[in-house]
Amino acid sequence: MTDGDACSACDALARARSGDAAAFTTLVRRHQRAVYSLALRMLSDRGKAEDLAQEVFIRLHGKLALVQSETHLLFWLRQVTSRLAIDRLRRETRYEQLPLPQDLPLAAESSSGDPLLQQQLRGLIAQLPAAARAVVLLRYQEDLDPSEIAQVLEMPVNTVKSHLKRSLERLRERLTGEAAVPAPRTDDAPL
Amino acid sequence: MSDDLEKQLREALRHVDPPPGFAARVSARTQSEQRHRWLAARHRWVPATLAASVLLSLLVAYGWQLRHEREQGLAARQQLIEALRLTGEKLDLAYRGVQDASKPAVPPDTGDT
Amino acid sequence: MRASLSRLLLMLVLSLAGSAAARAADARLMLPEFHTLEAKASESVSVTLDSSLLAMAARFLDPNRPEDAAARQIIAGLTGIYVRSFTFDSDFAYPKEDVASVRKQLSAPGWQQLVQVRSRKDHNDVDVYVRVEGDKTNGLAIIASEPREFTIVNIVGAIDLQKLHELEGHFGIPQLKLDDKK
Repeated sequence: MTDGDACSACDALARARSGDAAAFTTLVRRHQRAVYSLALRMLSDRGKAEDLAQEVFIRLHGKLALVQSETHLLFWLRQVTSRLAIDRLRRETRYEQLPLPQDLPLAAESSSGDPLLQQQLRGLIAQLPAAARAVVLLRYQEDLDPSEIAQVLEMPVNTVKSHLKRSLERLRERLTGEAAVPAPRTDDAPL
Repeated sequence: MSDDLEKQLREALRHVDPPPGFAARVSARTQSEQRHRWLAARHRWVPATLAASVLLSLLVAYGWQLRHEREQGLAARQQLIEALRLTGEKLDLAYRGVQDASKPAVPPDTGDT
Repeated sequence: MRASLSRLLLMLVLSLAGSAAARAADARLMLPEFHTLEAKASESVSVTLDSSLLAMAARFLDPNRPEDAAARQIIAGLTGIYVRSFTFDSDFAYPKEDVASVRKQLSAPGWQQLVQVRSRKDHNDVDVYVRVEGDKTNGLAIIASEPREFTIVNIVGAIDLQKLHELEGHFGIPQLKLDDKK
């Protein structure tokens, strides 16, 4: 973010806090992609994702006085979106999510790399348990480091690292379709 | 492989647009809810003010104690979760070792046809 | 005569109470300070939760969160959880002597080795011990040495091993698809 962008962001936040509806709409437009994308990849359902994303911004509107800065705002949005999504997933008690349908390509997904592999990855991520899914999305979609993820999800940082490690292993296994090679027993003396 | 996978994950997880009109729908809902809150508050301000004063006094009196207990309790909870995570992880390591050991060994490929 | 009998009864009661406490205490290992390991480690975790801290932690477990509900079930009969874990930047940077004093305690009566794993492929060694009193398990000890991580876990109290196994899927622990076979 350039200095000019930062100034503009702070300006919109300050005006929204003082009740400026147009400034609040500017904030929504600025952050809607991040919030919606996180909700979508957590819930794997566009309708539910929009519903959740709307709720996040409605809550933000009621809590604007508590938001101190643009950085705080980003943290707050990620935290509330993750929490609400995890709560919803747990209420539904469904951890096996279907991949997104192939005949509805999402906007802005044209990128370098293998689109089929990327779609497969999104489908596999949708099958992770709720907490692990949130950790993976905050890492690779929102580009947070483990300590930041730990703060957002209120989780020990070692638990975050464990989720990341296990999830990547699982993704790799599913992609390559290989099982681990068994280790032969040994009679090495213990320590 | 690890770097490639992580790069592919970042590519796969780029932000996408919400459906058109999303911001306008949010704006409409917030304005509607704001009107409802204002109307409700108008009729409740007197008893609400009195109740708030009493509540504030009680909270000031007990607030610091609750905060302290909460901090301690949350710290204990974090420690517990970390301990159980490590316990489960090491038990999992043991289970995997037992599972691997109980699988029949793959005979070496001698290349004979 | 009456005084002697009273004294004898008192001694009997005290010894029974003492032995019950001693039985629980025997399940608790005396963990060394591990100063050497701590100095070499890039990360270290030290958890000491006695019964009062466990009770405090339990009050802040959210029954609506599956992980917290699982944790609550596990700690219901426990009187202590003690963990020391060290991560290093290079392989096998920790000396074996630090582990010897812990292993010695696990050769005491009551402790039984449940699992011993030696993996040549991953160089992971894991030993799991349980302490059994009659038909009840009142202690668990795990010593896990991996190339860059060394961990000791000691759990004291009525342990449900099945519930510990059910931790899979929580806290970042993968779900192990165990075959139904002997």
